[in-house]
Amino acid sequence: MTSETVMAANTAMATDLMPALIFMVGGMLVPFFKGRAKSVYMLIIPVVGFLNLIHIPMGDYHQLVFGGFNLVLLHVDRLSLLFGYIFHIIAFITVIYILGFKNDVEYVAGFFYAGAALGAIFAGDLFTFFVFWEALTLGSVMLIWSRKTPKAQAAGFRYLLVHAFGGLVLLAGIVFHYSHTGSLEMSLMTLSGLGSWLMFFGIGINCAWPILHPWLTDAYPEATIGGTVFLSAFTTKTAVYALARLYPGTDLLIWIGVGMAAFPIFYAVIENDLRRVLAYSLINQVGFMVVGIGIGTELAVNGACAHAFNDILFKGLLFMTMGAVMHRTGKINATDLGGLYKSMPWTCLFCIVGAASISAFPLFSGFVSKSMVMSAVAHMSHDQGQGALVFVWLVLLFAAAGVFHHAGIKIPFFAFFGHDAGHRVKEAPLNMLIAMGIAAFLCVFIGTFPKYLYSVLPFQVDYEPYSISHVLAQTELLFFSALAFCLLLLSGIYPAEQRAVNLDADWVYRIGGKKVYNILAGILNPLNTGCEKVVRAVASASAFIFKDAPARIMLFVSVNIWLVFGIRGRYLELKKLRLYNDAMEGTMPIGLGAATAVGFVILMYILT
Amino acid sequence: MNTQHDKELMELKHDPVPGYKPVFVVVFTIACLYMAFILFHSPF
Repeated sequence: MTSETVMAANTAMATDLMPALIFMVGGMLVPFFKGRAKSVYMLIIPVVGFLNLIHIPMGDYHQLVFGGFNLVLLHVDRLSLLFGYIFHIIAFITVIYILGFKNDVEYVAGFFYAGAALGAIFAGDLFTFFVFWEALTLGSVMLIWSRKTPKAQAAGFRYLLVHAFGGLVLLAGIVFHYSHTGSLEMSLMTLSGLGSWLMFFGIGINCAWPILHPWLTDAYPEATIGGTVFLSAFTTKTAVYALARLYPGTDLLIWIGVGMAAFPIFYAVIENDLRRVLAYSLINQVGFMVVGIGIGTELAVNGACAHAFNDILFKGLLFMTMGAVMHRTGKINATDLGGLYKSMPWTCLFCIVGAASISAFPLFSGFVSKSMVMSAVAHMSHDQGQGALVFVWLVLLFAAAGVFHHAGIKIPFFAFFGHDAGHRVKEAPLNMLIAMGIAAFLCVFIGTFPKYLYSVLPFQVDYEPYSISHVLAQTELLFFSALAFCLLLLSGIYPAEQRAVNLDADWVYRIGGKKVYNILAGILNPLNTGCEKVVRAVASASAFIFKDAPARIMLFVSVNIWLVFGIRGRYLELKKLRLYNDAMEGTMPIGLGAATAVGFVILMYILT
Repeated sequence: MNTQHDKELMELKHDPVPGYKPVFVVVFTIACLYMAFILFHSPF
């Protein structure tokens, strides 16, 4: 690209701001505002960002040449726009939600984090994408640390280590890819070389693939109340966007997604911390998206993107309701909650809306997006006659029932119904209720009128979710899941909620890491002690030998000289004693020292 | 914030309600048999 064309592109769109900068720079200024002005200012940022976004036509803008690379800071197409819309919407809702917390660190980190996510999805090249990808880590870690508890600090540190590693892997992948292809373009890739594999793996860490996922269930429940809402929206969804942009149709993603959809169900059922239940549920839902991207057809990618859009809303809503419960009661464990529907009826209602949406009840948002992925799997299985995809479809069906079990029933049941824990608290603050209300309204609106969501999806949509067979099949699935929950609970089979840490892949560093440490300590510590003993013994012996060596050399030379001069007997003994004491204490005639030194030099000369 | 219930449960058990265990076993068995029947009679 010539400098003229770069300048022309920049001049043409000089009036369009980068969505990322509006949030990042705007967020930095939040601490300078006070009182009501601060609230108004914070609300204005996402509104201005959204107005800016809808006025940017599709294309590449803010192009520059940096270090010989052609960078595209702003690439706008249907895929990035869809994620851009929902990121602005959830940022606006979350800002309303956190207005009452008066925590400038959380505010600045939240805007920075949202801005970084926007920067990543609108990046037109891999280098720009990487820069914002790393900024995403910084913002999210600050959100975790801003809770300022020892657990949050430890979880944030672990999060930072994992994501710094993931970032390095991504960077290595980009470098290999560039050296192989000479291109930094954010375009379709295949798993053909080391570079693309490394990038795939690096993105997978942020996407919380199985085994790589413990950072999510570890850190999200430890963040601030508002921080968790932010976190649920951006990191994994940015990774989903990256997969949809770079790796659609990659078969491996189908199996990774199946694993993501299935395994969290078992952990979510036995988990006591309700925000951690939602964290597992988040992985489960991202699994559906990853399967859709792996299938790679237009219907599947549309379904994955639509589900990402909806998941940001209903998962955010569920995290908000649990945050409100935590804000009022100070508790989040199922063992400490229950019966709150009397004290917090609106929060309870919004939680049920979120639960119905994530469970994909007809007329709620999950229904119109999850079914697209399921249908895409069924179509592909039918078209290609692949028996393996039948297994995928059955696992997704199981996962759909499971998510209703743990997120659809467990969350509202243990927080608002179940056993009465005796909390008599106020309803959530008004700003929280408004935020939850907006999210709940959108969940119902999208579920009832899906055409508005379908109109902004990356590909033309030819799909009708409200067919009789689909509605009946889904309702059947959900009601039988509810029956299973009731029977498990009433027959005493349902596992008890316990105040405990449930380990999954974090066993590797929580238990396995300690075992490795103990084994190495058992081998290396005795070796270290032995070496120390040897060194001490040698040093001690050397010190004993050499402690008066100079004095003895001096005596040897002097006594021979004195004998030549005829000094004998008691006087000789006295001189020897005096010289030895002087040499040991360092108090001797300077001439004697000089003579010894000269003698030493002469001796060296003769010997050499 | 509620301060009256500082005593935290270590475990929230779900005691069985008499009569429901056989119901669960029957429903679970029927469901498994039904699913097996459907799967074996499917075209794929």
